[in-house]
Amino acid sequence: MDKNLVISIKDLKKSFDGVPVLKGIRMDVYEKEVVCIIGASGSGKTTLLRCLNLLNEPNEGSILFKGAELMDKKTDINTLRMKIGMVFQQFNLFNNKNAIDNCTLAPIHLLKMDKQSANRLALERLEEVGMKDFAHAKVSSLSGGQRQRVAIARALCMNPDVMLFDEPTSALDPEMVGEVLSVMKDLARNGMTMVVVTHEMGFAKDVANRIIFMDEGVIVEEGTPSSMFSNPKEARTKEFLKRILTN
Amino acid sequence: MGIFIQTIPKDFFGGAWYLFREYFPLFVQGVGTTLLLAFIGTVMGFFLSLIFAVMKIQKVDWRDTKAGAVFKTAGKTFSSMYITFFRGTPMIVQAMIFYYLFRTWGILWSPLVAGLFVVTINTTAYIAEVIRGGIASIDPGQMEASRSLGFNQAQSMRLVILPQAVKNSIPAIGNEFIVNIKDTAVLSVIGIIDLYNATRMASGVFYRYTEGFFVAALIYLFLTYTSSKILALVEKKLDANKKISVKSEPNEV
Repeated sequence: MDKNLVISIKDLKKSFDGVPVLKGIRMDVYEKEVVCIIGASGSGKTTLLRCLNLLNEPNEGSILFKGAELMDKKTDINTLRMKIGMVFQQFNLFNNKNAIDNCTLAPIHLLKMDKQSANRLALERLEEVGMKDFAHAKVSSLSGGQRQRVAIARALCMNPDVMLFDEPTSALDPEMVGEVLSVMKDLARNGMTMVVVTHEMGFAKDVANRIIFMDEGVIVEEGTPSSMFSNPKEARTKEFLKRILTN
Repeated sequence: MGIFIQTIPKDFFGGAWYLFREYFPLFVQGVGTTLLLAFIGTVMGFFLSLIFAVMKIQKVDWRDTKAGAVFKTAGKTFSSMYITFFRGTPMIVQAMIFYYLFRTWGILWSPLVAGLFVVTINTTAYIAEVIRGGIASIDPGQMEASRSLGFNQAQSMRLVILPQAVKNSIPAIGNEFIVNIKDTAVLSVIGIIDLYNATRMASGVFYRYTEGFFVAALIYLFLTYTSSKILALVEKKLDANKKISVKSEPNEV
């Protein structure tokens, strides 16, 4: 098996109450790669992303993460999840904790770090996302963009092998989108493997190594940003891009 | 004895005041017992309720071992039945059943210990439902974020969900304490000298029940009113009035 392969999905199927959402997905993600998944609402892109760390349980198929089969009942999913960072559309910061405690909870309890080293680690990560000055701020006092940056820092504290982003800027006011995207660009530049579900075509164009276009539960087309944006092959891709780029 | 009876004033308020003054130590003892029952019942009930609430919301998933799945289902069923029984029957009936049941088994416990037991298991059922509601009110995103970091179900519950659910439930738990101050009066049926029974004993001497229980009503009112004020202060201190927001972000998509 390719050593650089981080995630490898085969024949992934998922339905909700009998309604098929993913109809056989095949996808590989390599180390240091940034993969953007685009597509209209309801195309299954978020479900696909959530299957990657089993927040949604697929019905059938195979998900290999660094060679471990996630669909195997004997696989310790919790240990693997420590290495799969996730950033949510709604941030999902722990509401009863301040910024730094959000970041240190998992290192302290899962990595068994002592409080001082966990705090040091958290401050480093918060600095990377430009939130060091807000380390002791309550979640409720932070803006959406600030919350999302803390959420990214929280995931980074576990030193993940891959980061999953589920429409990380969709819940933000327009003026806050930039600060989150710039943090994500820095991450990509530093070699983080990323899978990003997004509507930000500018980001996809600039940062992604590969773009996957999904429609009605299947991957319609994938390719480099330049080929996808300037020369899409499939009619559905053309139509989608035309619609989203003229808006 | 006849001389003694003539010492109690004939008018209502005079009689009430006389009973209160003359049997003050008995009233104090009754108040002490009532508060003990309400306090122990609520505190113990709170801790036990966490177990029952968490048991009740377990879901079997395909990753569970067979034994784990059986354990979850059994716990869930037991918890549901427990809560249904203790919320669906009067505490006075529960008191009679358990007090005499244990005595027929040869456990000659005192009425007070039996009373503490009954009020605890009864309150557990009520607070378990409060906590379960508190858990349900927490945004599922909190659990997902916790699971995505690598915490298992139990760790997520303990470290992320329950602290928020309990904080949101503090006003309702405080209310349960106040309800217990009043409702433990029914435990007098097994012979506890709580405020109700103390009053009955004091009033019975002169057959002046109206005046006696008027005094009891004022004392109960004083206890519940003061408790509610103290609890309001505690809530304010804990910032529990400001509910932890269910949605993390105001603007929905």
